[in-house]
Amino acid sequence: MSGVENVEPFGDGFIAALCPELIIFAGLILLIIVPNLGKGTVRIPGTQTRVMWFLGGERFKLTSNPRLPAWIATITLGAAFAQTILSFQDGVDRTAIVTDSGKQLMLVNGFSRVFELIFFGALTLAAFASMNRLEVKGVGPNLSTDDLYNNRRQADFYILMLTCGLGMSVVALAQDLFVLFIGLELASFSTYVLVAFYKETKAGTEAGMKYFIVGSVASGVGLYGLSMLYLWAGSLQFNVLAEQFVINGTDPLPLIAMGFVLVGFGFKVSAAPFHFAAPDAYAGASSPIAGILATASKAMGIIGLLRMLLIVAAPEASEDGTVWLTLLGILSLVTMTWGNIAALGSTNPKRMLAYSSVAHAGYMLAAITAIGAWNWDDSLAGDAGESAVAVLTALIFHLVVLVAFKLGAFLVLSILESDGDASRLSSLGGLAKREPFLGVAMFIFMISLAGVPPLAGFVSKLLVIMGIVKVAVGEIGAQIVAGGDLGLADVHWVWWLAFAMVINSAISMFYYLRIGVVMFFEEPEEGRGGPLPSGWQVRFAVLACLMVTLFMGVASDKLLEICEVAAQSLNYDWN
Amino acid sequence: MTDWISIPLVAFPLIASMVLLAFVSNGTERMRERLVAPIRMACLVFSLVMLTITTGMFFQYFGDVSWMNIAFNDYEYRTTYTWIESLGINWSVGLDALSFPMVWLTTFLLPVTIIATWNEKSGATYFPLLLMMGGALIGVFVSLDLFMFYVFWELTLIPMFFLILKWGGKDRKYASQKFFIYTFTASVVMLLGLITLYFLQDPYSLPSAGTMTGRSFSIPELIDSARASNVGDNWYLGAQMQKILFVMLMIGFLVKLPAVPFHTWLPDAHVQAPTGGSMLLAGVMLKMGAYGMFRLPISLFPHALYHFQLALMIIGMVSLVWGAIVCLGQTNLKKMVAYSSVSHMGVILIGIATMQPMGWAAALFMMFAHGIISPMLFAVCGAFKHHYHSMEIGAMRGMAKHSPWLATSMMFAWMASLGLPLLAGFVAEIMMLIALWHMISLDGWSIWWMVGPALVLALTAAYYLWSMQRTIFEGGEKGQPPANMVGHPIPDISNSEKFAMLIMAFFTILFGIMPWIGLDMMDDWTKQIFDGLIIFVGKGGA
Repeated sequence: MSGVENVEPFGDGFIAALCPELIIFAGLILLIIVPNLGKGTVRIPGTQTRVMWFLGGERFKLTSNPRLPAWIATITLGAAFAQTILSFQDGVDRTAIVTDSGKQLMLVNGFSRVFELIFFGALTLAAFASMNRLEVKGVGPNLSTDDLYNNRRQADFYILMLTCGLGMSVVALAQDLFVLFIGLELASFSTYVLVAFYKETKAGTEAGMKYFIVGSVASGVGLYGLSMLYLWAGSLQFNVLAEQFVINGTDPLPLIAMGFVLVGFGFKVSAAPFHFAAPDAYAGASSPIAGILATASKAMGIIGLLRMLLIVAAPEASEDGTVWLTLLGILSLVTMTWGNIAALGSTNPKRMLAYSSVAHAGYMLAAITAIGAWNWDDSLAGDAGESAVAVLTALIFHLVVLVAFKLGAFLVLSILESDGDASRLSSLGGLAKREPFLGVAMFIFMISLAGVPPLAGFVSKLLVIMGIVKVAVGEIGAQIVAGGDLGLADVHWVWWLAFAMVINSAISMFYYLRIGVVMFFEEPEEGRGGPLPSGWQVRFAVLACLMVTLFMGVASDKLLEICEVAAQSLNYDWN
Repeated sequence: MTDWISIPLVAFPLIASMVLLAFVSNGTERMRERLVAPIRMACLVFSLVMLTITTGMFFQYFGDVSWMNIAFNDYEYRTTYTWIESLGINWSVGLDALSFPMVWLTTFLLPVTIIATWNEKSGATYFPLLLMMGGALIGVFVSLDLFMFYVFWELTLIPMFFLILKWGGKDRKYASQKFFIYTFTASVVMLLGLITLYFLQDPYSLPSAGTMTGRSFSIPELIDSARASNVGDNWYLGAQMQKILFVMLMIGFLVKLPAVPFHTWLPDAHVQAPTGGSMLLAGVMLKMGAYGMFRLPISLFPHALYHFQLALMIIGMVSLVWGAIVCLGQTNLKKMVAYSSVSHMGVILIGIATMQPMGWAAALFMMFAHGIISPMLFAVCGAFKHHYHSMEIGAMRGMAKHSPWLATSMMFAWMASLGLPLLAGFVAEIMMLIALWHMISLDGWSIWWMVGPALVLALTAAYYLWSMQRTIFEGGEKGQPPANMVGHPIPDISNSEKFAMLIMAFFTILFGIMPWIGLDMMDDWTKQIFDGLIIFVGKGGA
C-alpha cells in the first residue's frame, strides 16, 4: 500500500479525491436552480429595459415538470454511485485532505469508498422508487395553489435526499471530530425532515417530531462527549486522540466522554436502549425513507462507532483488553434479544422491520465487540490484526448487502402504502396473488434477513459469526495441536455472542416466516384485492435489490475483496 | 472423470424448477391450469433422467467406479471447483457407499412421488417444488464441503415449507412454521459448531485452505486430519472440544432425524403435509439426520462417540419404545405412521450406538429400507384421505370389500413396516438385533437392553395389525361404509396410484429377498470406516 497523499482543499487532486461528493454538490445546486428556470426578467436599474435572466417568472415547460427534481436527484446520486464504483477499478489510493497547518480533515481510502457505495446505492434506489410515492398533481397553469405547493414539495424532498447523502459521505471521510459532527448533523437533520415529509398520515409528522427530539437529545449528549474529549486532549484530530488514549486512556474523563459519544451513535444505529424512537420513526415515515434509516443511516452510525471505538479508544490502549469491551458486549446481547422479542409481538410490518433492524444492530455491535477483543490472547500477537480484519470485512459486507434486502423489503411495503395502507400485517394479505413478483421478492428479502442460504443475508451473517468465532477461538487450535486439552471455558467470551446470534436468528425466523405466510396464504383485506398501483420505477428498484440479494448469496467473491480492502484500510489507520 | 453429479443431479433440477416456478407464478389462473399437464410431464421426464443416471452409476456405466472398493474417506465421481477462495469454500461433490444409496433413493422417489400424486391440485407449482426438493436433497448427500453441505441442508426447508403450507391440511400454517423453526434452530446450532470446528484447524495446514482465513471447509481433508490425530487416547481437537463439537453437531442431526425428545415437529408436519411432501419428508429428509451423523460427528469424533455411546443408546431406545407406544394410542392414521417413523429412526440410533460394524450396516440399511417403505405408507395414507375424506382410523371400514387395491397396498405396506421377513424392513431390524446381541455379549452390556427392542417388536405388530383390523376387515355396521359415505360410490385408488404402489412394493420385496444388492456396499463401507478410524481397530464382533 502506498502512503497517504496529502491534498489541500481545492489543491491538485482535490477534485479527483472528492469526485462523488462534488457530483452531489453540483446536483444540489442544479436541483435548486433548475426548477426555478423560467422567463423571468430583470429591469436594469434606472432604465425601462428588461433583460431575460431566466430565473423566476413563468417556468419553461420542461422546468415546470414536477417530476424533474426526482430525475435530477436520481441521476446525480446514480452518477456519484457509478463514480464510486469506477474508483475501485484501478485500486483506491489514499488521499488525505489537510489544512495548510497540516491537520487532517478527511481521508479518502477503501473504507470511505465502500461506505459511499452503501450511501449512494441506498439513496439512489430510494430516490428512484420515491417517484411513485410523492403525488404529482399534474402540470400546467390550471392548478390550484395547494397543488402547486404539492408539486413544489418535490424539489424539497429530493434536495433533502442529496444533503442527506452529502452528510453521510462526509461522516465516512471525516478524520476530525468537528468534520464528523458536521456531516452527522447534516445527514441527521435531513432525515428528521424526510421522516416528517410523509404528511398523508398524521403519524408522519408525529414520527418526525419524535425522531427529531430524541435524535437531537442524543446528538447533544454525543456532542457533549466530543467536547469533553477536546477538553481532555486539546485536539479534535482522531490520530492525536488515539495517541492520547494509548498514553493515558484509563483517565475517567475520556471514558465518560466515550460513554456520551456511545449514546450519540447508539441512537443512530438504533442500539438498545437508545432505540425507542426508531420503531415510531420507521412506522411513521414513508417506506423508502424508513429504508434509508434502516440501511444508510445505520451504516453512518456504525462508521461513527468504528472510528470512536476502534481508532480513538483503540483496543490496545489498555493492558487487559479494551475498556469498553464488556459494556459493548452486554449492549449487543441486549440489543439483539430485545429487538427480536419486540419484533415477535408487533403486528405492523414496518414496526416489525424496525425491530428487526434493532436486532441487526445487535449483530453489528457483536462484531465490533469481537474486533475490540482481537488481541485478547498474547499468542495472537503474530496475528497482526488478521482476525480483526476478518470481522471488519464481514461487518462491512453485511452493511453493503443489507441495503439490498432491507431497503427492498421497505420498497415492497412502499407499493402497498400507495395502495392505501401498510401498517397492519393483514395489509400484506394475498400479496403473492395480487402481484406474484412482489410476493416472491418480499419472501426472499424476509428469509435473507433471517439468514437462510443461499441468499446474501446468509453469507453476511455467516461471515460475521465466522469472524467472531475466529477471534474467540484465536490460537486455541494450535495449542490443542500442541497437546493441550482446552474447552469452551478457554475460548474468549465473545464466542457466546456468536451463540446468541444463532439463537436470535432462530427466534427471528418466527416473524419473518409469518410475513411469508400472510402474503402467500391469506386473503387480501376487504376491498384490496385489485391490482396494485402501477409504477415501474419502484418495481425496478425492487428487482435490483432482489438481484443483488440472490447474486451476493452465491458469488460474493468480488465484493468480499472490496470489503477486505476497506477493512484493511481502517486497520492501517489504527496500527 | 466427467462430472455426472453437479449439473444433472443438483444444479439442473434446482434451476429448472426455479425457472418453471418463476414462469408459472407470473401467469394467469387459466394459463396455470393449462400448463399442469406439460409441467408434470416435464418434471417426470427430468426425474426419470436423474434416475437413469444414478442407476447407470450403480451399474458402473459411467466411468470406472467400484462401489465395493471405496476406501474410507475416498469418493467416486469426485469433482471440485473453487467457489469462494478467500474462505476456502469449494463446490466439491462426490459419492461413496454412504451417500450413493441415499442419492439413488432420492432419484427413485422423485418419479414415484410424481406418479403417486399425479392429480394433486395446483400441479403447475406443485411438481416443480418436488423437483426442487429433489435437487436440494441430492445436494446435501453429494456435498463434500461443509459450507455447501449447510447451504443445501437449509435449502431443503424452503420447498418443504411451501409444500406443507400450500397443499397441507387444516393446521398447515402452524405445522409448516413449526417444522421450519424447529429444524432451523437446530441447524444454526450445528452451524456454529461447524464454524468453531473450522477455526480450530491448524492454519494453512490443509490443501484447500482459504487464502484469507487459512482454514478449509473440505470434509475429506477434515476427516483426514481428524483421522491422523485420533490415535489411541489422543483426541482430535482435545477431549473437551471434541465433546462440545460432537454435541453441537448432534443437536442438528438428532432434531432432523428426529429422536425423542426433539421429535414433536414431525407428527405435525406429516399430518398436515400433502402426500407428496410426506413421502419425500419421511423417505429422504429424515435420513439427512442419520447421513449427517455418519458423515461428520462419527467420522470426525469417534472418541466422543464412544464417550456418548450410552446417551445415544438411551435416546435411541426411548425413541424406539416411545414412538411405538404413542402409535398405539393414535386414532389418526397418518399420525400413527408418523410416530412409527420416529420409532424406526430409533432403530438407526441404536444401530449407531451399538458400535458394531453390523449395527452401523443395519443403520445404513434401515435408512435405505425405510426410505422405500415409509413413502408407501404415506402414499396409502394419502389415498385413504383422498377417497374417504378423513384420516381417522374408524372413518372407513371393510375396505377389503370395496377397495381391494387400497386394502392390499395398505396391508403390504403395513406388513413391510412391521418387519415381515422377506421384506426390506426385516433385514435392517434383524441386523440391528444381532448387533445388539454382539454388543451385549462382546462388550459386556446388560441383557436388559434387549427388552426395549423385544417389546417394540410386539408393540409394532400390535398397532399395525389393530389399525388394519379396524380399517380393512371390520365392517362398520355389517360391512357397510360409514354414514358419511353411504349412497356415494366408493372408488378404489386410481391407476397412477396403483402403479406407484406396485413399484414401491416391488423394490420392498427385491431388497427383502436380495438385500445384498445394496447391503454389500454398505457393509463394505462400515468395514472401511472401522478400519479407517483407528480407534475402532480391534473393536467390534463382526
